[in-house]
Amino acid sequence: MGFAPLDPILHNQLRLAIMSLLVSVEEGDFNFLLESTGATRGNVSVQITKLKEAGYILVKKRFRNNYPNTVCSVTAKGLKAFEAYVLALKGYLGQQAG
Amino acid sequence: MEQSLTPQESLKLIESMIGQARRNFNRMSFYFLLWGFLLISAMVVTYLLRDSVSGWQHGAAWGMAGILGGLISAVRGARDGRKELVNNPMDTTIGWLWSAFVITMILLIAFSVRSGVDPTIVITILTGLPTFITGQAMRFRPLMLGGVLFWIAGVAMLFVPDALGVLVIYCASMVFGYILPGILLKRHEDGLRTA
Repeated sequence: MGFAPLDPILHNQLRLAIMSLLVSVEEGDFNFLLESTGATRGNVSVQITKLKEAGYILVKKRFRNNYPNTVCSVTAKGLKAFEAYVLALKGYLGQQAG
Repeated sequence: MEQSLTPQESLKLIESMIGQARRNFNRMSFYFLLWGFLLISAMVVTYLLRDSVSGWQHGAAWGMAGILGGLISAVRGARDGRKELVNNPMDTTIGWLWSAFVITMILLIAFSVRSGVDPTIVITILTGLPTFITGQAMRFRPLMLGGVLFWIAGVAMLFVPDALGVLVIYCASMVFGYILPGILLKRHEDGLRTA
């Protein structure tokens, strides 16, 4: 059995970190992703845009206490892609062990 | 940051991020401390006034504690809600669990009053349920033990002949079931925030 290809959208440290955070919560705001990943504001913003363009996350912009607030959540497509990615990873690890 | 990851690194990253998100419970210690002190106060006032009031007045201290606690909790909840960075499904479930508990408790108190039965025992036993499940959901053992303690305290009250005994057991169950776990939870939450 060959190796399943790894989704290039998810096979990136920060995008994978963001997706891993969002699959565990209903929705997470920009500051949560910023604090949890420890990445820079600009980098998080760029990767969020890429995930959004891929249809993996939904980005809602709203106001909270008169300040703009960005909230992200995983879409059904994103969840499916994440699960496929984890499955592919397990395939790699299983073949390496075997 | 377009750096390449090995499969092992990817899985490790996924595990650590999921763990971090799941640990992100909303702050709950405040509510345990608030209700612990309020309910002890109501119990003590009710005990002290037991011979000097009659009828509905027996429940006045509980009613006032309930209204005061409900108002403070609502204000605090609304304030915290505006500050939350993440909406965890477990937070939502725990919120519904406590809402269901309050509704059940009000109904049980109404039935007890109508039947002329003191609701303290049944409410104490019922309190063990959400406390235990919240502790389990948060993987926070002091709260789980607090829940068990409420169950034990409720049963113990059945075997105590006088009001003073019930007062002592009730206050002890609140101290060890709500207040002490609340203090430990606060330390735990403060630690998470500064980590």
